[in-house]
Amino acid sequence: MKKQHLSALLLASFLLLMPLALQAQETASADQEAPAATQPSKHFSFGVLGGLDRNYHIIDMSYMDAYSYTPFAPGKSYGLQLGYSPWKWLTFRLDGVMLDKNYYRDHTLTNYGGFYPDTTTNQYLNVPLVIMLNVGNTVRLHLFGGVYGGYWLSSHRKGRTMAVFGSPEYDVDVDLDSPLSQRRDNRKDFGYTYGAGLSAIFAKMIELGVEIRWYYGIYDIQKEYMTNLNPRYNTTMVLQAGLNFWL
Amino acid sequence: MTMKTHLFRTVVFSSLILLTLSACRKESTVDKFDNPNSRTCTSYAIQFETVWQGMDQGYVFWADDTVDWDERYRTFKPVFEAFDTMPYVSMAAYQAAYDGLFQGLLDHHLMGIFFAPGKNGRFAVVNPGSNDYSHPTYSGAELERELQVLRSRADLIDYVGFDATIDPNTSMSLPGTYFALLKGKRAGEKIAYFRFTDFSLSNMCYNRYNLYYKISALAPIKAFYGTDDASGMTPYGYANDESVVGIIIDLRGNPGGKTDDLAPFIGSLSQSINLVGYTRVKDGFGRLDYSPWAEYWVNCPSRHLLQPKPIVALVDINSGSCAELSTLLIKGLPNGTVIGERTYGAAGALLSNSNYSHDLFYSGCMGTQELYEDYGNYAYLGYPELLRIFNSQYHNVFPFYIYTSTFNLVDKDFNQVEGVGVQPDIEVLYNRNRLWNDNVDVQFERAISFIKNGR
Repeated sequence: MKKQHLSALLLASFLLLMPLALQAQETASADQEAPAATQPSKHFSFGVLGGLDRNYHIIDMSYMDAYSYTPFAPGKSYGLQLGYSPWKWLTFRLDGVMLDKNYYRDHTLTNYGGFYPDTTTNQYLNVPLVIMLNVGNTVRLHLFGGVYGGYWLSSHRKGRTMAVFGSPEYDVDVDLDSPLSQRRDNRKDFGYTYGAGLSAIFAKMIELGVEIRWYYGIYDIQKEYMTNLNPRYNTTMVLQAGLNFWL
Repeated sequence: MTMKTHLFRTVVFSSLILLTLSACRKESTVDKFDNPNSRTCTSYAIQFETVWQGMDQGYVFWADDTVDWDERYRTFKPVFEAFDTMPYVSMAAYQAAYDGLFQGLLDHHLMGIFFAPGKNGRFAVVNPGSNDYSHPTYSGAELERELQVLRSRADLIDYVGFDATIDPNTSMSLPGTYFALLKGKRAGEKIAYFRFTDFSLSNMCYNRYNLYYKISALAPIKAFYGTDDASGMTPYGYANDESVVGIIIDLRGNPGGKTDDLAPFIGSLSQSINLVGYTRVKDGFGRLDYSPWAEYWVNCPSRHLLQPKPIVALVDINSGSCAELSTLLIKGLPNGTVIGERTYGAAGALLSNSNYSHDLFYSGCMGTQELYEDYGNYAYLGYPELLRIFNSQYHNVFPFYIYTSTFNLVDKDFNQVEGVGVQPDIEVLYNRNRLWNDNVDVQFERAISFIKNGR
C-alpha cells in the first residue's frame, strides 16, 4: 500500500468515525445511569505492550531491475505505555517501544550464480506521543494519531554477496558507529503515527486491548551527504496487544 | 456539551488531520537520466549529465575518494552546456573538460572514452591513475632489455622463453612467459625464475594448439610448474626441484588480466589456501551504499605442495591489477618477500562488459560497450581506421564508455590498496641508467642477493 493510500485511509477513518464517536460520547456523558464500574475512573495509566510488525522500506529502484525489495518484512515490537486521560473520551498516550524496521532484498543474477538475498534487521527505539479518542464503556474503541521520535539502535545483515571469487555468505552486525556509517546513516527517526484499537476494561482498573498502528517516517534514513541522494524511508505497521493499569 | 468543549475537540481532531496531510517525503531523482548503459546522449550537456550520474551512482571508491563529486558537477556542467552553444568545440577543450572532471579519482583502473560527433570520429580518453607513473609507461622495451640482461648473466644455467617480446607493429608487449635457472650461493644450489607478461596464462594453456602460444608460453610454464595444463604445481617442475633453493616471480610491467590465473599460477606457490584481503561492491545508488566485506581467498590447487623455500615477488610501479593481487598473496606467505617498487594501485577487480556490470550491479563499467571493444582493437586497427569506424557508427550521437572497478579490495588489515599499491618489503627503485648503460638490473640483483643471503 502506498503512503498516499495510508494517509487517505487514516483521514477517511477520522472523518467517518468522528461524528459517531462524538455522538456516542455525548450520549454517555448525558446518561448518568451508565455503569460507572465498567469505566476507568482514574486519570493516569501505565502498562506494557507487544506485538508483531511489518516494515515497508520505501526506496526508488529506478532502472535496477536485478534488485527487488520484498514489501512488508516482519519484525517485532514491545515496550511500555503511559496514559493520561483528562476526560474519559480523551487520552494522551506516551509509549516507549523497541521496534524492528526490517527489509528483505533480492538480487537476481542469472549469469553469476543466481540468487543473492539480503535481510537487514534494524532495531529502533521509538517514542510515540498520540492523542487518543475513546468511545464506549466496557468495550472501548480507540482512534489515535500523533508524532513519534526515535533512534536507530542496531542493524544486522545476513545474506550472500558477489565477490571476486565465489559468492560468500555474510551474517554481520553493522557498526553504526563506524566512520562510514556516521557519514551515511541518519540514526534519528521522526514521523507520524496513527491507528485504531479495541480494549476491554476489567475491575475498573485493568484494561486489555489490541491495536493496529502505523509509523510513517518522514526522516530519510540517510544523512544528506550527497546531492543526488536516493531517499529511503520506513513505514511500519504494528499489530500489538497491551495490558494497562489505571491509577 | 459546552461551546468550550466542542471547540477543544475540533482543535484536537483538526490537528490530527493536518498532521496526516502534511506528511512529507522527498521525491527520488535517481532516475532523472535513466540507465547510463542505455541512454542515448544527443548533446554535450546530456553526455556530461549521464557520465556524472553514472559515476555518482556506480563508482565503487566513494568511501575513500577525496574528490568532491558535487563540486565537479557545479564546475563542469556550465562548461559542457557552453559547448552546445558554441559553433566549434576544439578537441583540446573537450579533452581538458573531461580531464578536469576525472582528475584525481582514486580508481586506477578508471579509463573513460568520450566521443564528440562532428569531429571525424575523434574522441577524448581519460586515465587519471596514469599520472602516478614514476617512470615511463611500460611499452615492452624495458621487458626486452631486462630479459637481455638476464640472458647475458654468467650464472645463468638455463633459459626458456620466446625472444620476440615486442610486436613490431605496435611496440606493445606480446604475451609470453619466461623461465630461467640460475646458480645459487653454494655449489649445486639453484634459483628458479619465472616471468610472464600478463595474466592470460590459463588462456594460453587452454589454447595450446595456437602455434604462437605454444612457442611463446607453454614451454616456460612447463619448465617451472611441471605442467602446462593450468592445473597448478606438480613435482616435476623446477619450482619443486630439491636443488632449487629460492624462487623469483617477476611481476614487473605485468598489467594484470584474468583472475582465473591466480589460483593455479600464484596460489599453488603456497601450501594452503590464502586469505588475500576483503572485497565489497556498491549496494545502492548512494555513494556510500556498500555490501558487507567478503573474504577474498585464493585457492591452492596444487597436486603437489611446493616445498617451503623463499619466494620473491619482483614488482614495480607498472605491476597492476592481478599482479597486485599476486603480490598481496606472496607478501602474506611466511616465506614470501616483495622486492622492488610499490605497485600501481589498481587492485579493484572488474567485469569489463557494461551490459553485465552496471545493469546488474551498482558498480562497474558503464556506457556503450561497442565503443570500448573498438577502442580495444586500436592497436591492431590503426588510428585512421579507428576514426573511420567511430565516425561511421557515432556520427550523430555522443556515446561514452567508462571502464571502472566493480570491486573495492583492501588487504588483510583492511588497508586500502587502490591508488596506494602494495608496498614492497625491500624497496629497490627502477634504475634506467644502470639497466641500459651498465647492463645491470638492480631490482633483479637485489632479489638474487636476498635469496642467496636470506636478507
